[in-house]
Amino acid sequence: MKALVLLFALVAADAREAVRFVACPVYRDTDAGKKSGCWLAEDPASGVRYDITSSPTKADWNHAVLVEGFVAQGQSDPCGGVVLDPVRVSVLEQGCTRHMLPAEGFPGRKFALPKRNVRPLYEERTKPAQPFAARTFVIPFDHGSSFVTYQLSDYYLDAAINYALDVQPATVTITGHAATRRERVSGFDLSEPRALAKARADAMARAFQLRGVTVARVATGRESSSADEAFDGLIAPSLRRVEISIEPKQ
Amino acid sequence: MRFGVLALAVALLGFGLAAATDKPDHWWQPGEGRTFPAKLEYENEGGTLRLLLEGGPMETKGHPFFEPIGPNGRACVTCHQPANAMSLAVPDVQRQWTRNGAKDPLFAAVDGSNCPSLPQGDRASHSLLLDHGLIRIARPWPVKGADFAIEVVRDPSTCNLDPVWGIKSKNPHISVFRRPRPVANFKFIEAMGFAYDPKAGMPLALDPETNKPVAGNLMADGRVPTLTAQMRDAAATHLAFTRNLDAGDIARILDFERRLFVAQQRDSSGTMLDADGAEGGPMKLLVSAPGRLGSQGTPVWSEFEAWEKLPEAEKAKLPKEVREFRDSVARGARVFRDKTFLITDSAGINSPVGFGNPVRNSCVFCHNMSYMGMDVAPGQVDLGTTNLPFADPQPYLPLFRVTCKGKPHPHYGRVIYTHDPGYALTTGKCADVGRITLQTLRGLSARAPYFSNGSAKDLRGVIDYYDRRYSIGYTEQEKRDLVNLMRAL
Repeated sequence: MKALVLLFALVAADAREAVRFVACPVYRDTDAGKKSGCWLAEDPASGVRYDITSSPTKADWNHAVLVEGFVAQGQSDPCGGVVLDPVRVSVLEQGCTRHMLPAEGFPGRKFALPKRNVRPLYEERTKPAQPFAARTFVIPFDHGSSFVTYQLSDYYLDAAINYALDVQPATVTITGHAATRRERVSGFDLSEPRALAKARADAMARAFQLRGVTVARVATGRESSSADEAFDGLIAPSLRRVEISIEPKQ
Repeated sequence: MRFGVLALAVALLGFGLAAATDKPDHWWQPGEGRTFPAKLEYENEGGTLRLLLEGGPMETKGHPFFEPIGPNGRACVTCHQPANAMSLAVPDVQRQWTRNGAKDPLFAAVDGSNCPSLPQGDRASHSLLLDHGLIRIARPWPVKGADFAIEVVRDPSTCNLDPVWGIKSKNPHISVFRRPRPVANFKFIEAMGFAYDPKAGMPLALDPETNKPVAGNLMADGRVPTLTAQMRDAAATHLAFTRNLDAGDIARILDFERRLFVAQQRDSSGTMLDADGAEGGPMKLLVSAPGRLGSQGTPVWSEFEAWEKLPEAEKAKLPKEVREFRDSVARGARVFRDKTFLITDSAGINSPVGFGNPVRNSCVFCHNMSYMGMDVAPGQVDLGTTNLPFADPQPYLPLFRVTCKGKPHPHYGRVIYTHDPGYALTTGKCADVGRITLQTLRGLSARAPYFSNGSAKDLRGVIDYYDRRYSIGYTEQEKRDLVNLMRAL
């Protein structure tokens, strides 16, 4: 009930136009250099074609995608669709007939390195100052997946592990969440199995172990939303996450 | 006059022979006890290969990389020849057969023949090594927890259906055939640029022996994570050593391998690859920091940028052949970095990492490490060289039918036909069928054929394969430039 209240509170707080649908993606072959192609998807309910290119996870033209985003304000139309930004794309198992459009005069976007990118090992890292504070890190996931999304989930995971390494000894608690409530989106049942919450938490525990950090407790939490920055205000994706609490032993 | 010419010819011939006899044979026999010099050079079709041993010369007498410790007379050097950029090239394999036949340790039945149960004196029994430079790799089957079944569709090697060595024997194995990987430039191959492997969505794997992270750029199928484990694996299988390598042996081999740098040094056009500001050759590798991402630092193959910037007046002083070659290499480097194309249906790139399928990028998307063209973000990718329908016809190789038991493969579906399941033979995952670890691009002129299964007989074959596989549409000029770049590495 508390989670539902928070969900409503977040919806009320964000007046942006939220979009959520399932569709077969279309690739538009714009060429403004590396990674400059466009991804488009049409909401079957409204018939509006959206530009979903800015999602950290890109689409696969062989599979349907779940699109969750906000209509961007004041953006041009470089790809031939209403721009969603922020936006999340989850690749689903349902197959699609692949389709590619030519550029048709659309320029696409020149690739720019996202802010959420893991830095190389050889780069100097600024360590946190003492006294160390207790912190919680949130790792987002795509629908139906425990895979760490490149240039989103890995960024927050790296930040969490680095913090644990910096402040150790510390107590690390990992709690997995999944979007288990049954819901229909564009005619598809999109509920996640409860076991996925545990799979996500276990994957994060394994990642910590690989970096040399012992995890004190791995648990699963109830379905609940989060206002963490990792979700850019998107509510539905926030149900699919892992929370990592790091408590310094001072 | 005629006598004079003849006399000169005889004198030159005599000098040539004397010079030739002064020089040791370019094939290193196990146990011959030569000194490995600080600088070693070998001619090849592309020009001259140079090997640098950091820290100076090394005696090979008694050295475990060079000494045969087992009954088959082989040592590590047998399949990692200095003249072949520490790999093995087909002309030298054929030369050894002509010299010694099946008696040469290179043709040891265990993996230097198509199958140990074949008559070993017959050339046909060694055809995969002799004609394609391929060594037999026997992988245990089934892999624990495998989510796919495998059947043998065709097996000219006979080994996969062999009652002793095959998939249905008492000790079941799958035999695949691969090129030996070059043993040099390990500073780069072992380098870790990032703490994560985006292809696995996880931090780098740990070495179970040391509990330290390891890069994933070592073995074709990632079956062992470190050089130490690789040498133990090789000693027990390919080399049939009668004793285990001890800590001292391992330390000596590691020391040698990590000090060795290999690259092409001079091109057959007559230009030194580090002339006029260029930075080709192995010295650049020796002095440079490894594991750097070209897109965030020194662009990949910018070693040859100085040749573009050379004033026209200076260029005009060069012989035509040199000038044209240098221009071509510099253009090739740009094509390698900047010519984009759509990369499609390649596991490890288009799935599961989230780059999208398709994704527009260039050769440096995968070959992204400065100075080496390895992958800074390690792991295995499926370029289709071993999987149908992308693989070129290779009727001499086994063909397997893989059936996924759980989720279908993200790009091939439930049933996959492959010459070599690659990484899937290590992980047991259907999604990994055909994924192979990226290769080093150094010393290419010395070690044809290319790709893990030798399916490209020359550098043009590599470019033509990529052109077909990804419908790139290289122009004839671009293809020539890329070949020239690659022969200069």
